[in-house]
Parts: sequence; C-alpha cells; structure tokens
Amino acid sequence: MKNLSLGSKVHYLVAVALALLLVFGYQAGTAGRLSATAWATFAVLVLVVALSLYTVYRILWAVDNLTQKLKQAADGNLGQRITRIKNGAATHELAWALNDLLDQQEAYFSEVFSAFDHAARGQTFRLAVDQGLHGAFKDAMKRINISVDSLGQVQQMALKEKLVSQVTDLNSGNLIGNLRSIQEYLMNMTQELSIVGQLSKETAHEADDSRATIEHLVANLNQVAEMVAQTNAQITLLHEKSEEITQIVQVITDVADRTNLLALNAAIEAAHAGEVGKGFAVVAEEVRTLSENTKDAAASIADTIESFGRATARMIEDSEQVKDLAEGSRSAVTDFRAQVLKFADSAKTSLFQVNKAQDFSFASLVKVDHFLYKQNGYRVIHQGSDSAEAKAIQSDHRSCRLGNWYYQGQGAELFSQVPSFQSLEAPHASVHQHVHQAVDLLQGHWESDPSIQHRIFTHFEAAERASEAVVQIIDRMVEERHRAV
Amino acid sequence: MSTRPQPTQHERVLAEDDFIVSKTDLKGIITYGNRIFIQISGYTEQELLGEPHNILRHPDMPRAVFKLLWDTLQAKREIWAYVKNLAKDGSFYWVFANITPSFDSSGNPIGYYSVRRKPRPEAIQAIAPLYRTMLEAERKAGDGQAGMKASSAILQQVLEQKGVTYEEFVIGL
Ligand SMILES: Cc1cc2nc3c(=O)[nH]c(=O)nc-3n(C[C@H](O)[C@H](O)[C@H](O)COP(=O)(O)O)c2cc1C
Repeated sequence: MKNLSLGSKVHYLVAVALALLLVFGYQAGTAGRLSATAWATFAVLVLVVALSLYTVYRILWAVDNLTQKLKQAADGNLGQRITRIKNGAATHELAWALNDLLDQQEAYFSEVFSAFDHAARGQTFRLAVDQGLHGAFKDAMKRINISVDSLGQVQQMALKEKLVSQVTDLNSGNLIGNLRSIQEYLMNMTQELSIVGQLSKETAHEADDSRATIEHLVANLNQVAEMVAQTNAQITLLHEKSEEITQIVQVITDVADRTNLLALNAAIEAAHAGEVGKGFAVVAEEVRTLSENTKDAAASIADTIESFGRATARMIEDSEQVKDLAEGSRSAVTDFRAQVLKFADSAKTSLFQVNKAQDFSFASLVKVDHFLYKQNGYRVIHQGSDSAEAKAIQSDHRSCRLGNWYYQGQGAELFSQVPSFQSLEAPHASVHQHVHQAVDLLQGHWESDPSIQHRIFTHFEAAERASEAVVQIIDRMVEERHRAV
Repeated sequence: MSTRPQPTQHERVLAEDDFIVSKTDLKGIITYGNRIFIQISGYTEQELLGEPHNILRHPDMPRAVFKLLWDTLQAKREIWAYVKNLAKDGSFYWVFANITPSFDSSGNPIGYYSVRRKPRPEAIQAIAPLYRTMLEAERKAGDGQAGMKASSAILQQVLEQKGVTYEEFVIGL
C-alpha cells in the first residue's frame, strides 16, 4: 500500500469499510437480532456513509490529480494543465487557479527564454513582454528586461568589436598597400632626382665653359673696335691734310694769276718802248708762259687733291659705320654675357635645390620604410609568425635600406660630416632589435599569457619610440647638410 | 465544426492585463485553453478541446500569415503575429499572438504554446489595411499557390521598404 496514491488509498478504504458494514449487517440480520426498522436505519446509515465516503473520494481524487500536476510543476515541467474541469465540482476553482498559475509561469519563462535568446544574438528589439503577467511575475519581468537589454548591448558591442577588429585588420592591410605605393613612388622620385641632379651638374659645367668662351669673344670684339677707331682717326687726319694742300694750291694759283697779269703789263710797256723794250718783251713773255704753266700745274694738283678728298670723306663715312657696327656687337655680346652668367648661377642653385629635394625624398622614403617595418611587426600578431609579414621584418639595421644608405651608400658619402650623423645608429638598431624581440615572443603561447602580452607590448612601444627618434635625426641631418651648403 | 459562424461587425476586446493561453499538439489540435480563451471565443472547453485551431479563423485573415506562422514554428522558432479571430457568435477580436514550440526533456517538439495579448490600437490600424491588400491579392489570384506568392510578396515589399525583418516589424508596431 505504500506505493499507492492518496486517491487509491481512499478507494481501498471505502471498499473495505462498506464490505465490513455489509457483512456485519448481514450476519446481524440472519441471526434475527435486528428488527425491521433497525435494519432500515442501518441500511440508510450505510448509504449515507457510502455517499459521503464517495464524495470525499471524488474530492480526494481531484486533489490527488492537482497534487500530481503540482509535483510535476515543482519538477520544472510547466507544460501540464488540468482539462475537462467539471463546472460544479468543489475543486473547480482550485483547478483553474492552478492552470492560471502555470500559465503565468510558463509565459514568464517562455518570454525570458526568447528575449535572452535574441539578445545573445545581438537582437535588442525583442524584449520580454510583461503584458498579461501579474504581480511578482510582472515585477520580475521588468527587472529581467534590464539585464536582457544590457546583455543585448554587450552582445552588440562584442559584434561591433569583432567588426572593428576586422575592419582594422582590413584597414592596416590597405594602409600597408598604400604605403607600399608611396614607398615605390618615393623610390622612383629619388632615382629621378639623382638623374636630374647629374644633369644639373653637367649644365652648371657647361654654363661655366660658355662663360669663358663669351669672355674671350668679348675681348676680341673690344680689340676690333679699338682698331677701327684708330684707323678712323688716321683717315680723318689725312683728310685734314688734303684740305691744307688745297689751300696752298689756291695760293700758288693766285700768285700765278697775278704774275701773268704783271707779265702782260710788262709786255704792253715794252711795246710802248719799241725796240728798246724788245728784249724786255721776250722776258715778259717768258714770265707769262711760266705763270701760265704754274697755273696749269696748280689746277691739275687741285684736281688730284679734290678727288683724294672725296675718297677720304667716303672712307670716313665707311669707318664710322664700321665703328657703329663694332659698338653694336659689343653691347650685344655684353648682354649675352650677362645672360650666360645668370644661367650659370641658376644652374648652380638648381643643382643645390635638386640635391635638397633628393635628400628630402630619401628622408621620406626612410620614414615610410620604418613605418612599414613596424606595421608588418604589428600584423604578425594577426597573421602569425609564418606569414610574409614575419619574413619582411627579419632584416637588421645594417641590411635594411636605411642601413645600406648609412653604412655604404650616399649617406656615408654625403652626410658623414654633419653633426647628427653618428647619433642615428643607436636608435635605428633599437627599432630592429625591439621588433625582432616582439616577434620572437609572438611565436610562443602569447594568446593565453598576459605577461607575454605585456612584454610584446613593451617591445612594440620601445620600437615606436626608437623609430620616432630615427625620423627626427634624419630630419635634422638633412637640415644640417643644407644649412652648411 | 461543420457550420462556421457568420461574421458580424461586433468586436470583443481583450483586457489589458489578461492574456489568452492555448496549447496545441503538433498538428494544431487544441489541447488546452485558459478561461480567458473560453470566455472570449464563446465556446465551452468541451467544444474547443480536440478541435483544430482554425476553429477561430476569421475570413479577413490572409492565408500567407498562417503559412509564415507554420513555416516559422516548424523551423523551431517563435512567431509573433497580429490575428483577427472569429468568436462563436460571429463577433471578432484582435490579438497579438506569440506562439512557441514546446519540447520534451530530450528536445523533441511536442506541441505549441500560444500566448495572445491585446494589441495596441495603432498596431491594428497599421496591420488591418496591409492584411486587406494581401487578402485581395490572394482572392484575385484564385486562392492557389499564386495567391500565396503574391500575398507574401506584398508583405516582403513592406519589410524591404522599411528595411526591417518581419519580427522587428511586428514588434515595432
Ligand atoms: C498554438 C497555435 C495557436 C493558433 N492560434 C490561432 C488563432 O488564434 N487563430 C487562428 O485563426 N489560427 C490560429 N492558429 C493557426 C491555425 O492552426 C490555422 O493554421 C489557421 O487558423 C488557418 O487555418 P487553415 O490552416 O485551416 O487555413 C494557431 C496555431 C497554433 C499552432
């Protein structure tokens, strides 16, 4: 009987009690010990007892049913309900009240479950609905919603974090791509500039050469001009002399004319004197002939001198023109010389500028190199120590581009004299060292070990500081070199 | 149920604080209804138990909504839906139904549990015209597969326009 439910216990009890009563009544009746009324009374009594026992049984059976459902609910099974509840039954209210309680509980848990389920997927719009819940259920639900909300937010943040880290990854990938192209560009530019530098140097040489040629030309032209001027002076002198001669010839012609007149007078006087004057007339004739001859000679001299004068005048005119021409070319050449001088000067400054630009572009290239180097170090965190990034950072401070430049290349050649040159070595070596150490640590179990993570971080931090110093020193070196030039 | 009630314009309104609870087996046969359910539907418990849940189906409801309802439940997910129901006396009542699948202790589905609450009037105002156009599309296409497709497309279009999922849409109304 131990295993039987309350309902079945009552069931047995009633059956046994009725059986006992009937057996007892039958025995009493057959023994003749009972009157008819007593029998009737007994029978009614039995009936009443039986009926009330049945009622009790029904109630207990219903209670038993309720108890079963309650036990199941207590075990966490909220799905059970009592159905087909008789309207007039004494347990009617009790059964519905239990159903209502289970409805409240099941709705409560169903809502909580759904809301958390959504929140866990970052869907914060699906809150637990408290409408229709009563009392403590409603209050509890309001509180639950606060945590659903914050869980949802945390979940959303986690999702966002995931995205952010993916985007960061993507971005740094792109960044590296961009930097590579800048690096390439700077490399090309540095190369181009060194060609331009070479050309400028040649131009400056050529300009110097042309300046010497021009100086020579100017000297020659000066000489020509001087010679022309001298010739000109001599011709002018000659012209003056021929004029003097013309004057003298005029005097001679005058004397001859007057002598002729005198001889004519003397001949007339001699004719007057007759025979006496005959001899004298011969002399007078001779004198006249002589003056006539003298006049002829003077005229032919004047002719000659005149044509000579015309010739020298033309010569003067010509040499005047030559002088102008010589003067003109001399000033043209002087202008030209000034231009050549200016050209030579600008060739020199452009060479200087090109050198400077070349240094600046190289400095930028070195900066980008360093930036890339560090970025590659950071990317090893995501990409792992077997990645291309890990290989890219294996170079040390002697074999990288800056190292080559510093120890063998143009750096050693052009910059070794500037004051800051020596101070570059230490921070540059430090950048490589720290990144190497950080990446070495990334080969271990850093993901789960905060102390390793801390050391990695410290190395990256040190590398950052050292590379900052490198960049500053390079800037300073460029500045110092061009201040000195 | 052999004869369907004739729909009337009379509306029954669920109390703000109450909810209708019902349970069905996997086929949608009613296995439990709470007192509010019995009261508002106008049926007795006896009349409801063992009947399919479409006993309450109102002719104003588009079929596409119930298709979505069953598709979602069969994918073991909860569903929210605004439903216009038909009471025994022909009157109607709007509910905002939440139905979830129930599982036994080993995770097998054993039935569905539905809690229906009073919808906000604004939500009914928004959903009723949408249902009307969906229903029209279903009727025009002759109630077959084509009708269902056209009707679902209308709902889909609204969701795309608003840029939300169905769930966000109905909860947000
Ligand atoms: C738990 C549960 C509750 C439901 N509640 C309703 C309801 O309140 N009203 C209704 O019309 N359909 C309800 N349905 C959907 C019906 O089962 C049925 O699919 C719908 O009435 C359309 O009828 P039909 O499938 O015969 O076309 C419910 C389904 C389930 C599983």
